[in-house]
Amino acid sequence: MSALTDPSEYWADLTRPEQGVLVFVVGFAALLLVGLLTGNLAPTYFLYLVGLAGMYSLLSFGLNSQWGFTGLINFSVAAFFGVGAYGAALVSADTSPIAGGFNPVVGLVVALGVAGVLAILIGVPTLRLRADYLAIASLGLAEVVRLVVLNERQWTNGSAGVRGIPSFFEGWPLLETFPSAMANLELALPGTQLVLGAAFWRGLLNVALVAAFVGVTYLVLKRVHRSPWGRVLRTIRSDEDLARALGKNTYSFKMQSFVLGSLIMALAGVFYAHLNLFVSPGDLDPVTTFYVWVAVILGGSGSNRGALFGGFVIVAIREGTRFLNEFDWIPVDVAPLRLLLIGVLIVALMRFRPEGILPPQRELIWPDAVDEAPSRPKSAVREVKGGGDDE
Amino acid sequence: MVLAEHLANGLIFSSIIVLGSIGLSLVYSIADFANFAHGDTMTVGAYSAFVAFGLVGGLGGSVLGLPFGFFVALLVGIAVAAVVAVVTEKVVYEPLDIDSIGLLITSIGVAFIYRALIQMRFGADFTRFGIQPLRPIEWLIPYGIRITKHDVAIVVSAAVLVGGLHLLLQHSDLGRKMRAMADNPDLARVSGIRTDRIKLWTWLIGAGLAGAGGVFLGLYNQLSPRMGFNLLLIIFAAVILGGIGSVYGAMLGGFLIGMINQLTPVLSELGALLPLVPDEFGIPVGIEYANAIAFVIMVAVLLVRPNGIAGEAT
Repeated sequence: MSALTDPSEYWADLTRPEQGVLVFVVGFAALLLVGLLTGNLAPTYFLYLVGLAGMYSLLSFGLNSQWGFTGLINFSVAAFFGVGAYGAALVSADTSPIAGGFNPVVGLVVALGVAGVLAILIGVPTLRLRADYLAIASLGLAEVVRLVVLNERQWTNGSAGVRGIPSFFEGWPLLETFPSAMANLELALPGTQLVLGAAFWRGLLNVALVAAFVGVTYLVLKRVHRSPWGRVLRTIRSDEDLARALGKNTYSFKMQSFVLGSLIMALAGVFYAHLNLFVSPGDLDPVTTFYVWVAVILGGSGSNRGALFGGFVIVAIREGTRFLNEFDWIPVDVAPLRLLLIGVLIVALMRFRPEGILPPQRELIWPDAVDEAPSRPKSAVREVKGGGDDE
Repeated sequence: MVLAEHLANGLIFSSIIVLGSIGLSLVYSIADFANFAHGDTMTVGAYSAFVAFGLVGGLGGSVLGLPFGFFVALLVGIAVAAVVAVVTEKVVYEPLDIDSIGLLITSIGVAFIYRALIQMRFGADFTRFGIQPLRPIEWLIPYGIRITKHDVAIVVSAAVLVGGLHLLLQHSDLGRKMRAMADNPDLARVSGIRTDRIKLWTWLIGAGLAGAGGVFLGLYNQLSPRMGFNLLLIIFAAVILGGIGSVYGAMLGGFLIGMINQLTPVLSELGALLPLVPDEFGIPVGIEYANAIAFVIMVAVLLVRPNGIAGEAT
């Protein structure tokens, strides 16, 4: 039942929200394509946006594996993101105040290691706390991390930030010279002679990198979510006492989920450092945390597809509002408008659809279980769902 | 001598924190969620007073270096913050059918809406009330204390407000009902207390005090759209230290957190001030970590004594 072999049946098998999201995604992609072809959207900027969207998706995956799977209210997303970004930057940048100039892969490993240690340090005290206390405590500790990054100038360069971060592929055999080699290539499209600069190819490499990160993370999380381990996490989310009564060490499971999510957030930070080539303490601002929260809740808590979708929507809001600056008839500054939009979105979601747009449904069921089930269940669920499309 | 100055500053800062933490604690216990919009309610109060002060200006004479118009503006700030909070409760929180975690997340959205609207109207930059800054009070300078009459006004006004709340809670019908509801909402309800109405009063009082805190914060420092949000975590620290739901705990917690915050510079020269401790002893923490200390205390309290110093131990 693939989308390619039998599109109509694939369409009919989707739920209402899935159809809506599909239409939205296709429409949005078409809009971007039009922008790209008419020259309103520079290709390099487009690739940057895609990279940013991939980064937000990674952050959402990380938060989803904490909040969506296990129900941990982690408000320190920005701290782990920042630690990942700073870890990568300080190890690989040549202006690093500590020991720069290493291969970015070393930076990746170091950043993930530091983030893992930090996750354990934050997790040990806070994961025993009640849900709302965890929210406050994690936000407080994230602020502590931000203050340390801002003030320990001898390690982090303080508010000046770290510059001179190399691209992720520096030091790789073939890919290092790929952008500059491709820059001379002339593409003969019908009608026009197109030369794409080195920046474009560098952007393309970044998109490939983030696509790899997102793809691997998505597959791992999808598998993990359905596994016995994921089932325990889901049990903890809905009823921690029940999980404990079943003999599970819930604290240990919560810690594993917390560390897993934090590593994914740090991965997003590493990518950001090599995408932006500059990191500053401003990247640890708590507002990033709340952007990611909106992405996860919008997508549907617990749903990896939803987190992916939410990540893209957040970038659409964050960067899309920049275009509004060009319209003179909007009397207000755009920065608060973005904040207002995010705020209204949170309130509207909690009011009308607290479970999000794509709540996890069938993605939690093993495919085998569906195949072995009778195609026409007694309760006629399928008829109802199939009939719903004829409205 | 240095200590006296820090203590005086601590007292002023504590007054502001106490005003914020009482409201947060009240709402936390009676509406039963951590209200992340509380800091921005303070901002709402501060900017309303800013507008009101611009309108009435230097009305009449002056008290403690502040024109009467400022006190009118203060009342306006309190009223607007209270009304905004009640309207938010009616429009946003009440129709929601979710648990306290959902309310917490919603309150973040509400905080963003407040801040965005203020930023749209007034811009992101710092502003000040149009009041001439005063010189420190002359006769206190020899003691090493450099505070202005405005600072005295902040402390006195906060004390009046807190004292008024104390009288309200202890000696009025409403206060008794509020205490009953904070203690046990179900029991209060079956005893015939109209809990919905008490909840609205709680929002009104809590947000009004927060608005006053915001006005004083604006007078003490400056006004900016982020002023309340930046203070929010400190206020949470105060509430948790005092014990959630306890108004007197919130006062005590606010006082302690405000003091510790302003006494941070003393920590590195602790040995010179304390008897029985070698002079070289000190905790080497810079003033830039003043907030971080409050957050660490908050986490420690949550771990060791989640009910706070004034709450009942479990």
